[in-house]
Amino acid sequence: MIGRWRKKRLDTAGDDGGRIVIDGLAKSSGGRGRIVMTMAVFLCLYGAIAGRLVFLGMQELEEGGPGPSRVTASRPDIIDRNGEVLATDINTASLYAEPRRIVDADEALEKLLTILPDLNVEQTYNRLKSDAGFIWLRRQLSPRQQQAIMQLGIPGVGFRTEKRRFYPGGATAAHIVGLVNVDNKGIAGMEKYIDDQGLADLQATGLAIPKDLEPVRLSIDLRVQHILRDELEQAMERYRAIGAGAVVLSARTGEVLAMASLPDYDPNNPFNAHEKDRLNRMSAGVYEMGSTFKGFTLAMALDAGTASLNSRFDASRPIQIARHTIRDFHGKGRVLTVPEVFIYSSNIGTARMAETVSVEQHRAFFRSIGLLDRMHTELPEVARPTEPSQWKRIHQITISFGHGVATTPLQTAMSAAAMLNGGLLIQPTFLPRTEGQAEASATRVIKEKTSAMMRYLFRLNVEKGSGRRAEVPGYFVGGKTGTAEKVVNGRYSNDKRFNAFLAGFPVNDPEYVVLVVLDEPKPEKPGMSATSGLNTAPVVGNIIRRSAALLGVKPDFGHESGALLVSSQ
Amino acid sequence: MFRTTDMVLIAVMVCAAGFTYMTKHDAEAELSKLRKLEAAIRFEEETIDVLKADWSLLTQPARLQKLAEAYRDELHLVPVEAHQIGRLDELPARPLRIEDIVAEEAMAGGMPDGVTTGSIGQ
Repeated sequence: MIGRWRKKRLDTAGDDGGRIVIDGLAKSSGGRGRIVMTMAVFLCLYGAIAGRLVFLGMQELEEGGPGPSRVTASRPDIIDRNGEVLATDINTASLYAEPRRIVDADEALEKLLTILPDLNVEQTYNRLKSDAGFIWLRRQLSPRQQQAIMQLGIPGVGFRTEKRRFYPGGATAAHIVGLVNVDNKGIAGMEKYIDDQGLADLQATGLAIPKDLEPVRLSIDLRVQHILRDELEQAMERYRAIGAGAVVLSARTGEVLAMASLPDYDPNNPFNAHEKDRLNRMSAGVYEMGSTFKGFTLAMALDAGTASLNSRFDASRPIQIARHTIRDFHGKGRVLTVPEVFIYSSNIGTARMAETVSVEQHRAFFRSIGLLDRMHTELPEVARPTEPSQWKRIHQITISFGHGVATTPLQTAMSAAAMLNGGLLIQPTFLPRTEGQAEASATRVIKEKTSAMMRYLFRLNVEKGSGRRAEVPGYFVGGKTGTAEKVVNGRYSNDKRFNAFLAGFPVNDPEYVVLVVLDEPKPEKPGMSATSGLNTAPVVGNIIRRSAALLGVKPDFGHESGALLVSSQ
Repeated sequence: MFRTTDMVLIAVMVCAAGFTYMTKHDAEAELSKLRKLEAAIRFEEETIDVLKADWSLLTQPARLQKLAEAYRDELHLVPVEAHQIGRLDELPARPLRIEDIVAEEAMAGGMPDGVTTGSIGQ
């Protein structure tokens, strides 16, 4: 409205000469505006170009090649106590192709087949001919293959590096080192422990840079570990056992030097790692350990002072209790001294010794030496021992010789170390630990004098008792056999056994405890029996013979067992 | 038309531009060299990792045992037994022989003394 009115006024006002002037003015001012506008536009354009140039000049060029694919996946190396690699990250190259850029699919395929002869020809040809932007040809090539393909110089194919966990030892230390999943996350063993210690958080924040990750040193000795597994493998074959396990434990520090459980798996290709019988039976399996428990019962009575090495116990008649009859396997049918109870592995004698202390005391002692609670160690796979909810007299008697309580073999080795090392209970560890650190965390469970008596008894059993086949001249082995009957359908079976041999060496001042278990061993030859003294004892002997020098134990032929007896009295 | 100062200034400007260009060009050349070196270092590091893994694979006790068994006839390698290990202080003292004592004296510069004993004096 107003516009129209103003226009009218302008029209009426500029009727004469003034009109031309105004017109000219309008024209001239409009012309200048156009120039300014044009200048501004060009200025903007050139300014933008100049700015872009400066920006490009300032920018760093992108680094060549594909960057590291996943920083988050880096893991520290795992090494043994001597620095040998147990697990490491390696970069593997994966071959891809960009079919759009491939000039001649026939030629490319022909060349690739010279390096990768097992490529599916038809399928690969069709994929190379296709219009796809990106296809994987082969994941995780060996460095040699990568080099060869690079030298072929085929246009349109390339490599991407991927991190992969590699275990040079294969199955040797599988259960200790553990496993990682596809994303390089620890899912078992020490790999999982490392993740739980903060690596997972580091990776999540992207701070896990390969160079900054210190290798994780374990207490394992790879050489001893190999010997252990090698002997177990042979034993499993010789005695046709369904499972086997062993551990070498430092008696003074609680360090695990070697531990293996068969059957195991190859962590580089763990397709069968989750099968039920491949679990780590040393720490995640619970078993009734049988006669090896007699050592603990004897130690309890000797420590409480209710028996001495000279005490006698009547083992001439079986014990009748609550419809059960306790018999001896190698019955002597007479009164036995304490050392005889031990070396003849008398169930009756051990039960009579156990009865010298009260049921509560018995339970408290077994709890204090760590047989009834879940042990504390780094491995995530640790089983909780089982025991009767309420101990009655019958329980006390059966538990005194190792039936009724199921513990993990590693735990039994830990308690045995406490019996032999002077009475200190030290939780087992898979990381290096000094004697000082071990003593700081140790708890005294028996008197030193009792421990000296136990050393004497263990030695006597190898010299004269059921452990003769574990003897290794020069290393002064002492040990206890254990042949437990397995429970099948709620009853103790006569022909299915769980055999164990628990040893310490050199037993005058034990440095190492060795425990070997065999699950359901069969007689070596028809007509022989399959007791622990015949199968697990020689395995322990072999392990000590082969590994003692590597463990730094000096052979000594000058010892007399009599000295042990004197020092224990 | 142009004054001398103008000429000089133009020359300086051209020189400055040329210098800047050269410097930037050189810097870029150095940078690309650096990048190549970095890539080479990364490659070497990766190679070291692979070689380390290779080494531990080749020195696996399991592999060495297999090799020792396979070449037993040629190498005659057997495990060390306890009685073969000894320490220096376990060695028994070496029995003395008269030649050794004489040789030792001679080495120490002990000359025959001047005392004339009866057997020579006569």
